[in-house]
Amino acid sequence: MIQILVRYCTLFILTLLVLAIISFSLAYLFPGDTLENLTGLVPQNEIQRAALERQFKLDQPYIFQFFYYVGNLLTGDWGYSFTSGLPLREEVGIAMPATIELATYAMLMALFIGIPLGYYAGIRSYSTSDHLINSASITTYSFPVFWFALLLILVFSLQLDAAPLSGRISLLYNIEPVSGFILIDILLSDVENKTLAFKDALSHLALPTFAIGAIATASMIRITRRSVIDVKHRPYIAAAISRGLSSWQIFFRHILRNALLPILPLMAIQITTLITNAMIVETLFSWPGIGNWLIQAIYQRDYPALRIGMMAVSTVVITLTILVDLFNRMIDPSREKYERATV
Amino acid sequence: MLGLIMLALFVVCALFAPIITPYDAVEQNIDGLLIPPSWLANGSISHLFGTDALGRDLFTRIIYGCRITLGSAFITVVLAMLVGVSLGTFAGMLRGVRSSIVNHLLDALMAIPTLLIAIIIVAILGTGLVNSMWAITLALIPQFVHHTRSFVRAEMKKEYIVASKLDGASRWQLFAHSILPNMTEMLVVQGTLALSIAVIDISALGFLNLGAQSPLPELGVILADGLDVAYLAPWNVAVPGMAIFFMVLSINIVGDGLRSALRKRVSH
Amino acid sequence: MSHGLVKRLSLCICTALLVASCAKQNKQAFYNTGIIYCSESNPVTFNPQLDTSSTTSDASSHQLYDRLLDFDPESGRIVPSLASSWLVSDDGLTYAFQLRKDVWFHNTRYFTPTRNFNADDVIFSIDRWRLRSHPYHYVSGGRYPYFESIGLAQNIASVERVNGYRVEITLKRRDSSFLANLATDFAVILSEEYANQLAQTGTPGKIDELPVGTGPFKFDSYRKDHFIKFLRHDNYWRDQMEDGPTIDEALSYNNTVESANQEVENGQGGEDTVQDGTAQNGDETRPVVEQLIFDITPRSSLRLAKLMTGECDATAFPAQTELEVIRAKEDLTLAEKPGLNIGFWAFNTQRPPFDNPDVRRALAAAIDKNTLLEAVYFDSATRAKTLLPAASWAFQNDADDTAYNPVLARKLLADAGVKAGFSMTIWAMPVERSYNPNATKMAELIQRYLRDVGVEATIVSYDWTTFRRHLQEGLHDSVLIGWSADNGDPDNFYRPLLSCGAIPSGTNRAMWCSEDYDKLLNDALQTDDIEERTAIYRQVNRLLYERLPLVPIAHAYRYQAYRNELEGMTINPFGGVRFGGVKKAL
Repeated sequence: MIQILVRYCTLFILTLLVLAIISFSLAYLFPGDTLENLTGLVPQNEIQRAALERQFKLDQPYIFQFFYYVGNLLTGDWGYSFTSGLPLREEVGIAMPATIELATYAMLMALFIGIPLGYYAGIRSYSTSDHLINSASITTYSFPVFWFALLLILVFSLQLDAAPLSGRISLLYNIEPVSGFILIDILLSDVENKTLAFKDALSHLALPTFAIGAIATASMIRITRRSVIDVKHRPYIAAAISRGLSSWQIFFRHILRNALLPILPLMAIQITTLITNAMIVETLFSWPGIGNWLIQAIYQRDYPALRIGMMAVSTVVITLTILVDLFNRMIDPSREKYERATV
Repeated sequence: MLGLIMLALFVVCALFAPIITPYDAVEQNIDGLLIPPSWLANGSISHLFGTDALGRDLFTRIIYGCRITLGSAFITVVLAMLVGVSLGTFAGMLRGVRSSIVNHLLDALMAIPTLLIAIIIVAILGTGLVNSMWAITLALIPQFVHHTRSFVRAEMKKEYIVASKLDGASRWQLFAHSILPNMTEMLVVQGTLALSIAVIDISALGFLNLGAQSPLPELGVILADGLDVAYLAPWNVAVPGMAIFFMVLSINIVGDGLRSALRKRVSH
Repeated sequence: MSHGLVKRLSLCICTALLVASCAKQNKQAFYNTGIIYCSESNPVTFNPQLDTSSTTSDASSHQLYDRLLDFDPESGRIVPSLASSWLVSDDGLTYAFQLRKDVWFHNTRYFTPTRNFNADDVIFSIDRWRLRSHPYHYVSGGRYPYFESIGLAQNIASVERVNGYRVEITLKRRDSSFLANLATDFAVILSEEYANQLAQTGTPGKIDELPVGTGPFKFDSYRKDHFIKFLRHDNYWRDQMEDGPTIDEALSYNNTVESANQEVENGQGGEDTVQDGTAQNGDETRPVVEQLIFDITPRSSLRLAKLMTGECDATAFPAQTELEVIRAKEDLTLAEKPGLNIGFWAFNTQRPPFDNPDVRRALAAAIDKNTLLEAVYFDSATRAKTLLPAASWAFQNDADDTAYNPVLARKLLADAGVKAGFSMTIWAMPVERSYNPNATKMAELIQRYLRDVGVEATIVSYDWTTFRRHLQEGLHDSVLIGWSADNGDPDNFYRPLLSCGAIPSGTNRAMWCSEDYDKLLNDALQTDDIEERTAIYRQVNRLLYERLPLVPIAHAYRYQAYRNELEGMTINPFGGVRFGGVKKAL
């Protein structure tokens, strides 16, 4: 047990180190002045430049620079953005929770709708309802997420006027960002019309969450269905049937747990796809998340922002992936090298 | 079956684009701006899908777009497969701590979102279709590495491999004659999966203006161009989107079919 | 079901409906207190003295500040604002302004005024750009592009304080456009008290970042690329008055001091009519707008979408393709007026071969202006022959104009020694403006025409702020840009665009300097006689036609798109949007 934890911790730290190396070398790989890429500050004259170079150890071998850089990262000094001049820590601190909130709600939607539907389809495999669900899911899964979001906007926002299409909440509200999650922040804040604000935020959340969530749900349905079908054909199920267990008993005792296990490793890929889709959809909905921020940064060639953004997103994704892997390992120690299930 | 037909249609479009299309893909026609497609009232048969805001025939652009999107996605997948399989085999034949470090590292790096990799590569190398292809190749490699590696490791334990080894086969011979032929099915399945991802990613990057650039008629770029006039002329947005959708759908259906067939073969 | 149950059920339903309708009313009441405007890009600064872009003016001059004089949007005439009356001496050199009393500056988080507006503020605001020696002159850069381009600083001999509410400005030479210049967006009045406070804390630059003015809205917060938030100015002087000054009072240039004092007394009587935050528009009580928010949205299709869903109440610069859509929708209003603007293609005349007028003539002949008008402006513009549009009193209908003649173009290029395959850059603005709604599209069309005569053009663009900075450095070969007039005077077109003095200030995109041209412009300012001035401007047009430093393309209509719930929106011929006095009724 401890061994596993230690192993995963080392893996985590090792991966972060690799990421930090990549992030650091980006300062050199990006076009433009290395000092500016590294710090986000533009020195006004030679004296400032020399001082900054000394501070960031640019006159010393790469290894020292790297250690200084890592030290800065850990203490929270992430430099400044070219375009806005604000400290990057602040910008990422605002943008990251917005994306995580969106991704979380979409994931919940995928879990609570996708898994049950997938089960249903798997249990009744090759029947009409299964074909229906399967076709629906493969169709939804094939939609390019940006086109899907566009269609949602055209139909629900512009035609039916049912939901807004930009931002997290109407600009008329002044909500203090405490946790970064808008729904929580509204409840924590002290504005007079909390219910209004809450409903407003929900309506802003509706379309983006659905756009990402629908595709994630379709994915989830396919995976669960496949897993259930696989389990159904295992010999122990046949044995259980011949023993005379009812469908309910079979379902609860055998299928549920065994079908769920293989899909856990695939969750890691789901998270990655979810975050990628969230980043794309954010640009269409002007959602102030990390995806939108990074894409604006690349349009304006804001190199320090790109460097830190890449580090931030990768760290979050890898943390989640490793946590999922760890969780999977702990509840299913029977696998030595777990094989990832296929779709 | 339907999927196969659709896919075949797209492949034909891609290969024979210059022959089937009536117009030039980038030529602007000032007199014919935003002509509706032929099934609407004001449309004409000379422009099957209508024209866009600069007067370019949409049908032509879509056909060329299929060629560019499908073609570049295909090249990306092939490249990723070549590199991924080589790395994966190498990793699969390794033993010990080294292999597990490399494996876990690759698994972790597999988790980095494609878009992020694309953004970084665009920042370093600049925009353009070729650069976006590099980015997606990089993003697809870990997948191939992972599956090849696990496949190879599983195979290495099988008896026929042990038998060949006892016979005195070298590693290379093992790979070329024993493992590779058995790997083709897995590769095809993974390949179709990767192809659908590649198509969506290439068009997404084109849409975000990070990959192919206007006036290159890549499907995502055509979609982005149409966004400005989406309300006036919705076909500019509907048609390219449908094209990408059906392309991916056909790949997915074909892929699903292949997977089912594979499974049936394996289980018997 | 028992009777009791039915009763209870219906009670529940009634309560629910009541709550729902109350909620709806609450929602409407809340949303009526805020106006959201979709703006098209970031302002460069919050002090319009430092910049000429209309985005900056919209975010500052039109909401935060007042000027001494204003233009009446209907008649175009000059009306009093912070100056309640003025006198001009007979020789036209001395202007005496009587200032309005009881005008308060903004009370914000970072500044609390202890006195109201007086002559010191006027003197500070003018001397800041006029005198190089002024302590605030070089704060925030020291460039005052509009004033530099018209050379006003050189023409003012003195600005004197006669008493607390009277200022006298003496000019060196007659300038019939002086009053018009004081009514432009750039001649705002800053707070001298605030400036002193900042100087003491050692942060003078904040005067342009955390602004303080006398306008209808005060600054609250700004997040770049996202939003600007303004709050209502509670003590706004126009709200305090029962009615504004009448046009007749404004027209009498020779107001005596007594009548000026009378006006001021009228203004004082309105203090106790503002109660409970409701406006005093007769009997109607409508909630006053407490918040004004600029939602910065660079894409015009997204602005239109937000206007349609109601996430924005008004929007900037609807694209030409969108006008029909707006007209067709019943809950949107599209106001239009012929604009005082010009869109043109300017050559960098300091770079060879563009310093050769024949090369410029060739390039002008290579393009078909009518096609550009159709494709880019969709017929909501008129073809421009000279700089002045038909709305100006000096408009010349029979001026000479270049014609589409690619054969001539090739010949002239060959004669000038320009080889086939010659490459040049066309810089296209990334933002929409009324004078050019889609510079990129125009550039693509021009690129095609130039290819036909053997010239390869590359299109260059950056984000708006970087774009203008590079233009000022003269990095371009040619640029598609334009100009919206700041006042009704023709000098406001000719001088900032092509005079020698306008090169350092950055408004002369052609980087062109001609002594003959400048002399003609100065002559035109020496006389007040319309006929004489018009005749001089005809000569100017002739000169420009012969030399062609720029190719005039179009005069566009000005549009304002907003939701029907907004009342009091005016469309100003000089551009920009003003929200003071606008109310919302959902």
